[in-house]
Amino acid sequence: MPELTIAIAKGRLQVATLERLGRVGIRADEEALASRRLWVRDREGRYRFIFVKPVDVPVYVEHGIADCGVVGRDVLLESQADLLQPLDLQFGRCRIVVASHKPELLSNGFGMLRVATKYPRITAEYFGSRGIPVEIIELAGSVELAPVLGLSDCIVDLVETGRTLDENGLRVIEVILESTARLVVNRASFQLKAEAVSQLIKALGESAKEEA
Amino acid sequence: MSESLSKVPNGMRYYFGAEARLRRYVEDTAMSVFDGWSYEEITTPSVDYYALFEFGMGQREAERAFRFTDTDGRMLALRPDVTSSVARAAATLLARRVRPLRLCYTGQVFRQQSPSHAQWKRESEQLGCEQIGSGQGAADIEMLTIAAEVLKRLGLNNRFSITLNDVDIFNGVAERLVLDPASRDRMRHLIDIRDMAELRRFLAPYAQEEEASAFVRLVERPGRSEVLAEAQRLIMNTRSAEALARLERLWSVVEALGLMDQFEIDLGDLSGLDYYTGLTFKIYIEGVGTRAGGGGRYDHLTANFGRPEPAIGFVLDLDAITDALSRNSSFAPVLEPEQAVERLNSDDISALFMQALEQRAKGERVLLNAGGPK
Repeated sequence: MPELTIAIAKGRLQVATLERLGRVGIRADEEALASRRLWVRDREGRYRFIFVKPVDVPVYVEHGIADCGVVGRDVLLESQADLLQPLDLQFGRCRIVVASHKPELLSNGFGMLRVATKYPRITAEYFGSRGIPVEIIELAGSVELAPVLGLSDCIVDLVETGRTLDENGLRVIEVILESTARLVVNRASFQLKAEAVSQLIKALGESAKEEA
Repeated sequence: MSESLSKVPNGMRYYFGAEARLRRYVEDTAMSVFDGWSYEEITTPSVDYYALFEFGMGQREAERAFRFTDTDGRMLALRPDVTSSVARAAATLLARRVRPLRLCYTGQVFRQQSPSHAQWKRESEQLGCEQIGSGQGAADIEMLTIAAEVLKRLGLNNRFSITLNDVDIFNGVAERLVLDPASRDRMRHLIDIRDMAELRRFLAPYAQEEEASAFVRLVERPGRSEVLAEAQRLIMNTRSAEALARLERLWSVVEALGLMDQFEIDLGDLSGLDYYTGLTFKIYIEGVGTRAGGGGRYDHLTANFGRPEPAIGFVLDLDAITDALSRNSSFAPVLEPEQAVERLNSDDISALFMQALEQRAKGERVLLNAGGPK
């Protein structure tokens, strides 16, 4: 059977992803993992893992450089990549929310809202569908700082525990969407490596059921 | 040179040398296969009325086109596909020709917005065939065989897969569930991205759990004859059942021809153009992350031009094929730089050309060095 390349999002989801793969018998070489190598093989040589930034997972998979990937739904929606999404892996649960230190903001607002975010597309779609005009300020990190210092009225950001929001005096005003980790698959790999891909989907699918 | 002059617009590119030669080789191979099946070449206008494509491809796809206005204010487009224009020609210019019409082409198509990040190019070349005026049956097989022959002649044997579906299977199910347009789109999208858990939730209000699960299994992954047998057991509405019967007949010919290795049934393959009415197929090649081509039956398209008749066609994406080939070492001869040729040197221009013409008459390649450095 052909080797499958799996793109794994570094950071938030990485440990949980490897743990889940391990549970279905797909284990990366520990030594290689401990090194700073950006790709490793599994012990049986059936899989190759590549570790990339979350936003790059859809890119690698869409181009077919990786056959499959594990990445949060938030990143998928933001990327609008043309990918198959056969599984909700049920871990890495978080929410994309609108947060501000002025909770009355959305209810009485006329005029333009300034929104700081790492998710410009999701933000534009959300406010657009509600007919609220917004100026989107795209930031690469520490989004919580923007309203505190007056760069924006509110933020659209990922929230897991809500601690960072609390510490910066921000409150969740609205939840835009819930996100969990997804298995994504390249369209051509799905056809050309059908057997290997469906084995992976089946194994991970059963483990996701246990989780849910 | 200023940056604005040296820059090439996004999604546009040059081809040169080995790559250009390989493209020409693939083009010639495809055209010779098309000719071998008696398809006549047609060249369609590069610029046409936007309305043509809106009718032909559906608004969603046509909107991707580069658009501009004509002197009389009518909207024009740089063609985003060739099929629309071929269908019009069949219904107008070629209306009195004997049916079926067998037409083929190679041509650039342009999309201002590309359909995915992986297909960043805004100009691409399609190699295509259309057969107009024949109903389903032999014409469907003919298309599939031609597409497979092109790929085989290019040495891609065992490295490609063509998946088959019939849009009426889904249409019949959506009809039976009495879905409004938005829900129909949603169901189609869930099947297309194979989000089976979400599809199960979507189906819950419409079908019993057992029935829903069986349907989910059906569209979950590609397969072969067993998929058809299972589908026929499960899907009873007339429209879907007829489509399944068509697909079954097609598959039995595929089996009789011993082509099972190259084809698969994929009832979950629902993406693509809205104009398809029956059989649809998609072509995948190893080493190419995106679809390498596809086609299907478009029995309603020519009615837009006043002459309803059945039709089927397909396209291959030239770049996808050259990508796959350039990773394959057996293509070295085409990829190698041109053979060295002896330069003809002379300060006497008449003598130089005398010799050149002589060698050209014998069909030899010449390279002149007239008056230049020796």
